[in-house]
Amino acid sequence: MSAFFQYLISGLAVGCGFALLASGLVTINRVTHVVNFAQGMFAVVAGMTAGSLLSAGLPHGLAEAAAVLVAGLVGLLVGVVTLTKPGAGTQSALIVTLGAGFVAYAAEILLWGDDPRSFPGLNGAVRVGDAFIQKQSLLVIGVTAAIFGLLIPFFTRTYLGKALTACASNAYAARAVGIDVTRMGLVAFTLGGLLGGTAGVLLTPLTPISYDTDVLLITNGFAAAVFGVLTRPGPALAGALTLGVVEAMVAGYGQASYQTVVALALMLAIMVWRAARRTPLQHEGAR
Amino acid sequence: MTLSTLVLALLAASVAVGLSLLMGYAGQVSLGQASFYMIGGYTAALMATNSLPTWLGLLAAPAAAAVAAALLGVPLLRLRGHQLAFATLAVQLILLNLAGQQSWTGGDIGLQAIPQLTVAGYEFSGDVPYACLALVTLIVVALVSRNIIASRPGRGLRALATSEVAASSSGVPVAAYKLAVFSLSAAFAGLAGGIYAFYIGYVSPTSFPVLLSIEYVVMVVVGGTGSIWGATAGAVAITVLLQVLNDLGAREGMPATAPTVLSYGLFGTLLMAMMLFAPRGLVPTTVALWRRRTNQAAPPTPKPAQIPTET
Repeated sequence: MSAFFQYLISGLAVGCGFALLASGLVTINRVTHVVNFAQGMFAVVAGMTAGSLLSAGLPHGLAEAAAVLVAGLVGLLVGVVTLTKPGAGTQSALIVTLGAGFVAYAAEILLWGDDPRSFPGLNGAVRVGDAFIQKQSLLVIGVTAAIFGLLIPFFTRTYLGKALTACASNAYAARAVGIDVTRMGLVAFTLGGLLGGTAGVLLTPLTPISYDTDVLLITNGFAAAVFGVLTRPGPALAGALTLGVVEAMVAGYGQASYQTVVALALMLAIMVWRAARRTPLQHEGAR
Repeated sequence: MTLSTLVLALLAASVAVGLSLLMGYAGQVSLGQASFYMIGGYTAALMATNSLPTWLGLLAAPAAAAVAAALLGVPLLRLRGHQLAFATLAVQLILLNLAGQQSWTGGDIGLQAIPQLTVAGYEFSGDVPYACLALVTLIVVALVSRNIIASRPGRGLRALATSEVAASSSGVPVAAYKLAVFSLSAAFAGLAGGIYAFYIGYVSPTSFPVLLSIEYVVMVVVGGTGSIWGATAGAVAITVLLQVLNDLGAREGMPATAPTVLSYGLFGTLLMAMMLFAPRGLVPTTVALWRRRTNQAAPPTPKPAQIPTET
């Protein structure tokens, strides 16, 4: 039983990281209809930056916060490049974010080399019954819960959040009532950068990251986000937690080498099952 | 620009034309096209290394890819837009993972020492015969695609890309057509993959990374969705560009990380620039410029099929 509990908590922690990435993807896609393939890169940048700042002597907390801000800035940059040229469709915007990801690869290799890096997070473990839970895992879960708890009132109660929601539901109407849709898109990209950066800072102590970890991160984040059709944060969170827990369980009880296969196959099965229950008419009506 | 680059560019063009048919005309985005390239490559390699005639392996490559696509397509093509894009990507990740763990596919090492392709006693060896073979393949693929686009089923495909409901109420067999075009584009990729296996002489999971699938999508979009010339131009441009960047970085006197940094940085920058200044793709933009230069009254160009946005 204790082993099960350990796998569950570590799986939830990894799932929370995916959920933060997915929520960044969802935020950006809701407002701008762009699928941001540079989302995993934000996490890598933040994780690497936090490591460098810590080794430069900054205290914990401050270093991580600064790293998340850097990721937010990078998000804003990607947004500026993607959104400020009008007339580009969503398809070409996707390729632009891909290009941004490649440019970031070059910068990351120049700055940090191509070896996997990590930094110590919260050391030690808590004993629950006869199971040992890493403190870092609990930190990840706690921070993610707090962020999701803050995001909901942000989108429903603040002016900025309401403006973002308005762009998400109907950009034309939002423009008609005087909301600057492009600026809201930039805000969404910055927010996506901050969320991705938070994921990177939280996950790096658990698993070392290198410049090309973003492929793994974006795949899992994308899987979770697509679960909520890239527009709804709730299902994205559920999908991310499912992914993380299934991967941890397969790695713990079965074979670690099959964890990705099982998790992805399960996601596919659920998606196909859900799609089969909707008629094409319902689908097109929901556009 | 060497002959081997040309062979790879022509093979990539065959895959890209098939993907262009799927993306640009039928509106189905696939982020896993390299998985069919991989199935074709592995099929040809397995048959050839098990001492079956090599021409049989080359014929079996597109067939295996098409069958796999038909089987996968039944559940997967119920998904639309981004979900389909993710599903195809997931299929590729699953295939890569499985191929790296089975003993009969050679695990992570893959299959080595694939014999040269022999057709009717003629043994293909060296770059030139393979370049000719790849060129003939591309011509066949392009002709088949062109005829499909110009035919009644082609109009049906374009109709279902716009609205599946409207298309099916006009009598287009939507599910069957989607499955057919998915299998056909997979067959093109499988054929190219088979030729690749014979040309390179070995296949392993690392020959078919996820980035390769993404590269194919980039080729189609950069060239211009929904045109055969666009896909071909995009494939050749991207393949040659990557090769040139690699050669630049590998020059003497460059630091060890230079090739990767240079190729990633320049490739990313060029991708962004191309998409910002020619969002419709290279070929449509060039054609429009040319028409404007020569003062021809340009006929209204049909809008390229966009990814259906989901709100």
